[in-house]
Amino acid sequence: MKPKLVILSLLCFAIAAFRSVEVDLFNVPKNFPKPFYDFSKNPLSEDKIQLGRALFYDPILSRNNMISCASCHSQFSAFTHVDHALSHGIEDKIGFRNSPALMNLAWQASFMRDGSINHLDMQALAPISNPDEMDENITHVVFKLQASKLYPKLFYKAFGDSVITGEHTLKAISQFLLLLVSSNSKYDSVMRKQSVFTSQENNGYILFKKNCSSCHTEPLFTNDDFRNNGMPVDTTLNDFGRYRVTRNPSDSLKFKVPTLRNIEFSYPYMHDGRFKKLSQVMNHYTNGVEKNKSLAPELRQPIVLSSNEKVDIIAFLLTLTDHSFLFNPDYFYPKELFSETAKD
Amino acid sequence: MKSNKTFFLLLFIAAYGGAFSQTNSVQFSVSTTFGATHLDLVDSAFTTNDSTHLKITEVKFYLSKMQLLRNGKIVLEEKNGFHLVDARQTNPLIIIVSNKQNIPFDQLKFNLGIDSATNVSGAMGGDLDPTKGMYWTWQSGYINFKLEGTSPICTTRNNEFQFHLGGYQKPNYCLQPLSFPIKNSSKIHLNLDVQKILHYVDLSKTNHIMSPSAEAVLISKIVANAFTVSEK
Repeated sequence: MKPKLVILSLLCFAIAAFRSVEVDLFNVPKNFPKPFYDFSKNPLSEDKIQLGRALFYDPILSRNNMISCASCHSQFSAFTHVDHALSHGIEDKIGFRNSPALMNLAWQASFMRDGSINHLDMQALAPISNPDEMDENITHVVFKLQASKLYPKLFYKAFGDSVITGEHTLKAISQFLLLLVSSNSKYDSVMRKQSVFTSQENNGYILFKKNCSSCHTEPLFTNDDFRNNGMPVDTTLNDFGRYRVTRNPSDSLKFKVPTLRNIEFSYPYMHDGRFKKLSQVMNHYTNGVEKNKSLAPELRQPIVLSSNEKVDIIAFLLTLTDHSFLFNPDYFYPKELFSETAKD
Repeated sequence: MKSNKTFFLLLFIAAYGGAFSQTNSVQFSVSTTFGATHLDLVDSAFTTNDSTHLKITEVKFYLSKMQLLRNGKIVLEEKNGFHLVDARQTNPLIIIVSNKQNIPFDQLKFNLGIDSATNVSGAMGGDLDPTKGMYWTWQSGYINFKLEGTSPICTTRNNEFQFHLGGYQKPNYCLQPLSFPIKNSSKIHLNLDVQKILHYVDLSKTNHIMSPSAEAVLISKIVANAFTVSEK
């Protein structure tokens, strides 16, 4: 009996320890709702997160081993493709949308500007396969990873199996992406009563709540839904957004409402990156909204803002910048893994 | 995947248990034919001998959730059973459902394709691993059924036809539940006759379906009707 009891208590201890580790790996910020992602199907571990981080930064995911996820999602710009209206991928091919900023993905139900991806785990398949992005396929990625010196070791550490699968590859990438949580902006500290807005920021916040927050809902600054925000279609792209997925005419020109967190660094703006500055975005909402059948009901009444009020809203938007996110060393390029000694 | 482990374990038991296992389990085998001819794509494409000059290069599909019923009530079922049938694979698919108590049954139910809930459950392994080539990448969702080949009546590039049927959301939900009355047999054989499918599809008009659509649902129904069940 006794040895069994010892084993049982050790097991209980191990489970308890494992649970507490998991809690430490992902903390839900106090002012945030419950995450959408089902962690029970992909329990976090440090080794899986580190594997995911390696995969995120490794161009092995692309056909010519030159484009990584980070190529279009760099940390200093809140994991988007800074300075490019349309992101460019393999062999400088130009895609047809602006790459979205990556943060707080655990709270997102669908992915891509048009919601074509239904789960975070499956997201990476799209850029891996897109001929303008990485032009690879997951089967060949797994083959290359298996043949590498580095990855069978990392997969063994992470999943207890050096045989690499598509499932484990995708789940590891998800684990790294889930950790990209931005919740330490000035806005957050004001909400936690640790600091205060300036009077200009406060005025901007009041105006924001009146004019913007029905779609850019706090605290994630997105309602995770699709809206036509009245941008005239760019006839060089003819991108009708959500309609491409549902084929429902009422979804024409609808795009995912993006988060506004770290918006200071995630320019250019909109699905096709047509606006370089926040002032242009403000002017669009006051003067540029094109009325058509699928226009968001929230925009049917014109938004009226003076130029001073626009500046105040922008001052508020800048309080959504989270330096601890943009410079978090946990998200950096894992040079220790990719050094030649680590590969041997 | 758990189901696969169970599946292999049962396969092991079946292989070593011999006659014993036969009375304590139900064994399903699956084949693909063109009319009466076995469709073997392991080494090369299949070409018809007749004037149609039809060539089949790929037949791949998911069967899921095998259930055995008696008087309309489920008596045996395979939990989370998802099986990929591939005419290019050398080993034919055999599914074994344990029936330790020899429970009698009179009906078989299973699905052609992957249900909606599984489609939105993230990355999975075994036959559901996206490396199996049955997952769309530009838009999430499993491909339930693939049929590819060439026909002189297709006015497409290289006379190719390609059917990738799938879609997990209404109104283009492609999953096909199938049901067959059966005797209480321990060996059940399922066959998909590709000739039967092509009998109802005019390849000169319909030759490319690559995304969820009403047409994909329609052809999925035609595929479902091309299944037959025989027993030993």
